[in-house]
Amino acid sequence: MSALLNKRLARSLMRTKIRLFAVILMVFVGVFAGITFGGYAHNLGSMYDTMQADDERGANLADIWIDNRSTKWTPEQVDTFCNTLGAAWDNSSISFALDSCEGRTVTQGAMFHSNDTGDYIINSLWHGIPEDANADRIWMPVGYSEGRTAVAEDEIVIDAHVTDALNLNLGDTVSIGAGNTTADFIIVGMGYHPLHVLMAPEGSLFPPEPGQYVVGYLSDAGMARLTGDEIGTSNTIILDLEGSPSFDLPDTQKYEGEEINVAKQLVDSSLNSTEMNGRIRDRGQNEPVEVMRQDLEGTKRTTVPFTVMIASIAAITIVLSLQRLVQSQAKEIAVLRTLGVERSSLMTGYLVAPLVIGGIGSVFGALAGPYGMNGMLDFYQDFAGVPIIERTVPNSVYVTVIGLTMFVVFLSGAFPAWKASRLDPLSVLSGQNEIRVGSNRLRKLTSWMPTTLGLSIRSSVRKPIRLSMTFVAVGISLMLFGSIQMMTVGLQDTMIGSLEDDQTWDAQVYISPDSEGPVVDWAEDNSAHYEMIIEMPIGSVADSDDIERSFTLVGLDSFRNGMRSVSVIEGGTPVANATVTQVIMDEGSIKFLRWNIGDRHTVSIDGVERDVEIIGVSAGELARTMYFVRDDLSKILGVNATSIYIELPDGIEVDSTLGEASIGIVERHSLLDGINSLLDQQTEFLQSMMYLGLLFTLVVMFNTMIMNVAERDFELATLRVLGASTRSLGTMLLFESILIGFIGGIVGVIFAFGGAALLSASFSSWQFFIPVKIVPSVSFQIIGIVLLIAVCMVPVGVWRLRRMDLVEKVKDLSQ
Amino acid sequence: MNKLLQMKNLERHYETPAGVVKALDGISFEIFEGERVILLGPSGSGKTTLLNCLSALDSPTGGNYSFKGREVPRNNSEKMTSFRRENIGYVFQFFNLLQDLTVLENILLIQELANKKNSLRAKELLELVGLEAEVDRFPGEISGGQQQRVAIARSIAKRPTLLLGDELTGNLDTETSNKVMEALVSACKQENITSVFVTHDEGLVKYATRVIRIDSGKIISDERTGNDSGV
Repeated sequence: MSALLNKRLARSLMRTKIRLFAVILMVFVGVFAGITFGGYAHNLGSMYDTMQADDERGANLADIWIDNRSTKWTPEQVDTFCNTLGAAWDNSSISFALDSCEGRTVTQGAMFHSNDTGDYIINSLWHGIPEDANADRIWMPVGYSEGRTAVAEDEIVIDAHVTDALNLNLGDTVSIGAGNTTADFIIVGMGYHPLHVLMAPEGSLFPPEPGQYVVGYLSDAGMARLTGDEIGTSNTIILDLEGSPSFDLPDTQKYEGEEINVAKQLVDSSLNSTEMNGRIRDRGQNEPVEVMRQDLEGTKRTTVPFTVMIASIAAITIVLSLQRLVQSQAKEIAVLRTLGVERSSLMTGYLVAPLVIGGIGSVFGALAGPYGMNGMLDFYQDFAGVPIIERTVPNSVYVTVIGLTMFVVFLSGAFPAWKASRLDPLSVLSGQNEIRVGSNRLRKLTSWMPTTLGLSIRSSVRKPIRLSMTFVAVGISLMLFGSIQMMTVGLQDTMIGSLEDDQTWDAQVYISPDSEGPVVDWAEDNSAHYEMIIEMPIGSVADSDDIERSFTLVGLDSFRNGMRSVSVIEGGTPVANATVTQVIMDEGSIKFLRWNIGDRHTVSIDGVERDVEIIGVSAGELARTMYFVRDDLSKILGVNATSIYIELPDGIEVDSTLGEASIGIVERHSLLDGINSLLDQQTEFLQSMMYLGLLFTLVVMFNTMIMNVAERDFELATLRVLGASTRSLGTMLLFESILIGFIGGIVGVIFAFGGAALLSASFSSWQFFIPVKIVPSVSFQIIGIVLLIAVCMVPVGVWRLRRMDLVEKVKDLSQ
Repeated sequence: MNKLLQMKNLERHYETPAGVVKALDGISFEIFEGERVILLGPSGSGKTTLLNCLSALDSPTGGNYSFKGREVPRNNSEKMTSFRRENIGYVFQFFNLLQDLTVLENILLIQELANKKNSLRAKELLELVGLEAEVDRFPGEISGGQQQRVAIARSIAKRPTLLLGDELTGNLDTETSNKVMEALVSACKQENITSVFVTHDEGLVKYATRVIRIDSGKIISDERTGNDSGV
């Protein structure tokens, strides 16, 4: 009996092929997306593990970095520090060993590159890596890199991110500088470095266009030749510890850095006892590493919610469809019940149907998932420029994604099954179940309206649970569409807005401390306006949980009329020489630290504690930033400027004289091009998800509107028999669609904003803050889209009306 | 009395896999203004098909059907709807009131769709069928007989020329049926509406001025009852 009942149900479902296809498609997309994201996160994680591993294949990412770019430690100083630290370590109770303590120089510089289109000075970063280095080595995966590491004083390894763009090959000679001299080096290798997976200049999170920023790895002798210093001179000390002591993850509330903190305290006291100054950072405070880790974590976190979200939309559609089926088959079910069919037999079909639908969608999703994963890994490989060698989908990903999807889908059959089994045959056969009493509240609310309008409204909200479920499904669909859009707009505003609208400089010329003279001379010789700024990532403060948060210090001469204006959204601008140094803090810092205007706080600047007063809040900074009057900051740091902004007059371009006088030049248009290209890449990727959301909205709305019309066959046929014209009934349907579309649109905006806030919260961290706001244009777009979809369904209703066989309907109405 | 409608050799044939089914097979009759006609016949005799053709819900496959001297449209859904809107009132067996509208609003809706909205008249009609106290109640809150009376008030709200009903008391007990029919006769008389009802209930003959019996798609008798003034 049950098999026949199930066959009957299957036939009924097959009559709604489009809806069935749409639901299978949704399940397919849910599983596909889950496997794509899950597999992507897994393989990306493996890539980082391999790259950072302390073995022959890996680069052995350091555990602690001590750096001070405004000083140079002699080899003796480094040795003394390492010995002091080693002794202190031996006497401490730290459970893990200090594997290595190595000094090296990392310096900004420039590459002088010529090709068919001209001569270029490319902003660069040079590492001096000893041949026997233990930590932070170059990663040269077999088959994905070329050559070997640099050993001789004229050898260099160029980061593989840029070799293609600059058309560099093994054996080529490159001219590079670091504010001292220009020297030629022979390329002996092309590889990667764990600190430069994200190929962005120091202090920035944005990789410029390929070839506009170069990282090179010299030998220690090569670095000495470039800087004119003794071999072993260092501005960075790298510590490698036994195992991987836990460090604090800045994107969590909990403090996980207990283990490494003990080591850092020891490092701090050893620095003090050797009279050395420097910033001490662990992996959690090393931005290039941390940003990539958070990106990976974000992807991992996204897998389950994204799958569940899509599966929920499918589940809601299945619930609504099956529920409608139960309703339309009520009489048949009642007859079967009267004939003695058991409840469980009736329920089986409704429980099995979603599993079959889910099973089909899941199989296709599982088959297509690896292709999606490879696509995303290819995208990441192009975007980040590092090879992802291992590409497998672990069974756990399949089990989690399919299991979750099938569970959600199974639940969707439970309610209709229960409803079907609980139908009272007597009530159904006597028509009692059709009788319902309208809402008096609704009557009062709509009694002043024309009756047709009132009927439309009452019909629209006749099934509040179904309508609510529809709105939830529309909301979730639009969450995918709208939240990504809102976040993209917020991101664009933050990333591009200030650089495009608030800044007027053409080139930012980086200089060594107290070396501004030649750059100023160059500017004056070329009648160029210039402005000195200080910009150093050496500020830190303990937050309310006593976690140390680092930020960038920026010193400007003018906050409103300079070449870099600050967008002050609250409060005012600092004045120089106040009793307590006045500063502006970016809104992300203010939010994370829970600071207010007028507050006074003690912050650490280059390792020295200092009181500051918060005078204003600025917007448009992705990274945490504290703005000072340059004079104030100069007195604190003893540095006039770290770079100089230049507005280039017409016909004047950055040339080699300026290049040699600097330790790196960034041109604003290149920076903008880089960010725009990054945003374009991101948008391209996100757009696919946005359109997916739109497709789901379409399916959900289509399903609801079709059911609404189908359910109103009785009412529409009655009115048709009584002489209502197609136009008047069409107008009723139109009004109903507008109403549902409008409410759906508003629900969509709310969900989109909520989703954007969630997305932003999950992406935002101390390092990377994205403000979210309701963007009117996006909101109108969402409302407009849902309205359009709803209104586009009216012709379907009218078409159904026109082809309604009134004779058959009258027969139905008389039964 | 003026002739309201005329059918000549009307046919309604259906093509089925088993062959042609002649639901109406050469029906001819005339109906005059003010008449109350009852179509009687066994199940499958063609009376509902005839009613569907009369109301222009269905298109005859042969013969002529004129209303007030004009041919009634067929095979054109919009023109047929327009014909019904202008001339026909219809009462269903299961009342078919809209559950989300009150008793009064059910009537106002039909007036509104026919561009003849008049709430005073709607209330008068409810008074005529004895439901003036139920205007603001929903159909689900009143009895079946009351609902059918609302349906009658609704069907005559736009002043149709011809009122049609298919087994309109089929779902009611005898006492309620009588009340409904009395209300109907009274309303038709007052509004000067011609009516045709399909039934298999011989007991309703007393409310008719004329009885047409049908079997196998043909008229087998057509008699005046002598109840010219109704009950």
